[in-house]
Amino acid sequence: MRSRIKAIALACTISGVVAGAPAIASGDGERVRISGEVIDTWCYLSGVMGSPDAVVGTSHHTCALWCAAGGIPVGVLAEDGTVYMVLKWEGTDDVTRADTLMTVQSDHVTADGVHHVRDGINYLIVEQVVANDGIINLSHEDFDVVPPFAIPKPKPDPNQ
Amino acid sequence: MKPMLAAAALVVLASPAFAAGEFAQGSEATSWGLLGEEKARFEAVVVDVLCELTGDCPADCGGGGRYLGLRRAADGALVLANKNLQAVFTGAVEELLPYCGKTVEVDGLLVGEPEMTPAKVYQVQRLREPGGEWHKADHWTKAWDESHPELAGVEGRWYRKDPRVMGEIEADGYLGLGLATDAEFIDYLFEE
Repeated sequence: MRSRIKAIALACTISGVVAGAPAIASGDGERVRISGEVIDTWCYLSGVMGSPDAVVGTSHHTCALWCAAGGIPVGVLAEDGTVYMVLKWEGTDDVTRADTLMTVQSDHVTADGVHHVRDGINYLIVEQVVANDGIINLSHEDFDVVPPFAIPKPKPDPNQ
Repeated sequence: MKPMLAAAALVVLASPAFAAGEFAQGSEATSWGLLGEEKARFEAVVVDVLCELTGDCPADCGGGGRYLGLRRAADGALVLANKNLQAVFTGAVEELLPYCGKTVEVDGLLVGEPEMTPAKVYQVQRLREPGGEWHKADHWTKAWDESHPELAGVEGRWYRKDPRVMGEIEADGYLGLGLATDAEFIDYLFEE
């Protein structure tokens, strides 16, 4: 199982050399096509829940939903390892309360948009998602769920 | 397989000694043992990040829908406010929005390692208007409770009953792979 995740990561890294390359400048930003996974940036950057590999993909999907609903910045982890903070998604600038980003948590996407960098942080205005591969990072095979309480223990069936 | 133990061990090993950063003077921030953590207390203007970058500037910083930042007085740097003081899953927008366009003094943690982010993001733990009283940056759950009065009697923390979260889980499961995969995994996870 672990080898499959590594294979996916390697494929992503290789394709990212092309997919993450900037193209034409747009205003102060730069027009780009980015491929990567939609992530919860707090858990990824802070290490609060575990190692970076454990806080992406399926193992962390529920927590990513919680954090997006809680207004923690959603990011795209590009295939070259760059974290882009998403400021707008296909015309929606309500990134904390609208359902838009909830529906793509943990998905692997390819998006066209505009990239800004300010004081060391990368920001992304997603203009169009050109491909959504769904969730392909099966991290639960290595890490179960992170945090462990993300999936509540089922209540016993009173009829059994 | 005990992957969580391995993951936890990695975090412990990776956690650096608490670093004294450039803005640590006078900080009373609490350490969380996070990656690249530095105490940081500074004055800043609360800004709408999208506005700062593009000039698209609604009067109210987006009214809570946009991520907010702190344009630091000392060096003009735009610091992304990522997290509030509450334990888990809650961001900083709710805490900073009342101060949109105003100067505040914040105290908290700059977080992140250079291998993962060229600049650290910020966890605001407390804030005040200059010279005013400090207050904790812990209003998110109260605001959630006020906006979901119909769920006041439902048992559980907000994230166990938030309609948006529950809608996603009911549709695609806890792993996001669909309910059938979820059912198999839950059987494995809780097998006696």
